[in-house]
Amino acid sequence: MGELEFQTNVSNHFCIVTHWQDAGRVNEPGFGGLERHDGPSAARDLACRTEDGQYRFNKGQTNLQRGWMMVLESGEDLRQALDQFYPAGVGVFLAHRNDTLEVENLRDKLQRQSGMYRLADKISDAGAQQLIRKICGPNHACARRILWQIDAHTPLDDSEASRFSGIPAPLAENEAIPLLCREACNFFVEECRKAAQEEMLDLNHPNTRASDRAGLRGL
Amino acid sequence: MPIAPKPHSALLIVGHGSTGNPDSSAPCFEHADAIRRRGLFAEVHCCFWKEEPSLREAFYMIDSGEVYVVPDFISEGYFTQDVIPRELQLTGPSTIIRGKTFHYCLPVGSHPSMTRLILRRAREVAPDADPAQTTLIITGHGTHLNRNSAQAIRDQVSRIAASGAGYAAVLDAYMEEPPFIAGWDLMAPTPQVIVVPFFIADGLHSYQDIPVLLGIEKEPGAAASQRDIFRHNPHHLRDKLLYYSSAIGTERLLADVILDQVADFDRMHKSALT
Ligand code: SF4
Repeated sequence: MGELEFQTNVSNHFCIVTHWQDAGRVNEPGFGGLERHDGPSAARDLACRTEDGQYRFNKGQTNLQRGWMMVLESGEDLRQALDQFYPAGVGVFLAHRNDTLEVENLRDKLQRQSGMYRLADKISDAGAQQLIRKICGPNHACARRILWQIDAHTPLDDSEASRFSGIPAPLAENEAIPLLCREACNFFVEECRKAAQEEMLDLNHPNTRASDRAGLRGL
Repeated sequence: MPIAPKPHSALLIVGHGSTGNPDSSAPCFEHADAIRRRGLFAEVHCCFWKEEPSLREAFYMIDSGEVYVVPDFISEGYFTQDVIPRELQLTGPSTIIRGKTFHYCLPVGSHPSMTRLILRRAREVAPDADPAQTTLIITGHGTHLNRNSAQAIRDQVSRIAASGAGYAAVLDAYMEEPPFIAGWDLMAPTPQVIVVPFFIADGLHSYQDIPVLLGIEKEPGAAASQRDIFRHNPHHLRDKLLYYSSAIGTERLLADVILDQVADFDRMHKSALT
């Protein structure tokens, strides 16, 4: 799931979780030098910072630190760890599989912003499509598969990001739990706000909506 | 007050969160861990406005049919009255959403037991200070945007003054409205002063802005997780001895206040049903 790999039946443990690129080291002597954590409690700290100490507020980013292993002894502990590494990721995946997931289109998300983020909804559809190509997908360090559209009638333009499976490791779809994006993240909302501001300040910007342009001219 | 175990219910703690640093949500996760360890609920989760999981995603983390929602906020206000009910689709004290019953409790900061936490914090930060020689100042943001938080602070000031804790004076002060915290030395009649920030987490205000207003720092420093400003008590400043505490929301016992809000909910809303 995401950048994590689970291994069962290693040294009689229920499950050992590592970064998928560290999975082989579990079978080396001394666990290949991986730092061992027993139980799920270290998951939040591991998920919060990149290797060089940057804050990972978007947990779907493909910069999960390496060099650790987590030994878990029950399904409950595993679920708790996964909910820290990928908040709500398992639940969202299960709901999607059962067809009970309520996906939130971008316009719904932007319309519910507060304070200075209200401006974010002013972004044009074309501007939002551009942002998806610029921010989302594995080429921009996000491992999530986008489920939302711009609005109910406007699907995403075809791109590497809109096509991505949500599985960053080299695995088949039936071997992994994909990371799903049911609503645009706060980073995306922030970028919408910035782009909307630029569009509005530039009357000649190709993405400025005709209605906004008329409004701005009237100011 | 002890709370009866709720093995078929979930607890959902709702915080603000931040896209800039992990300090804002850290206390929320710590309180959740503390409550989880007590085994009172089938599940304990956190969700946030500005962090993952979002309030709407949280629905998918919960397996239980009954959910207690406790806002980790300092007072009633825009977030507890508008944002949280809208995001979780709550329409009253209890709401059934896709088969789950959500009980909406009051925010932690408005519970009377916060008084106990402030007094404990004050004693911890200044264990040798004689209350009779000490002024206790509770500080918050202020301004019209946070009118309710100022009221929550004034309520605490009255409660502490009436509690018999023995402080020479108990005062409220704000960053952006009078009485200004920057004038702490002028408003305190005693040689010793304890300042407790009435915030839910250590963030820009308690680590950066207030230390500058108090005169501890010349200019705003780094974020909470990168500093240890609270280890240097007391500060000899402006001819007084100043003790500065971290935000009240980081207090370990806030987990108990969360449980108090759940117990209060049951008392207020459930007893009517039985
Ligand atoms: S909005 Fe884009 S960048 Fe943000 S989590 Fe979803 S896919 Fe990733």
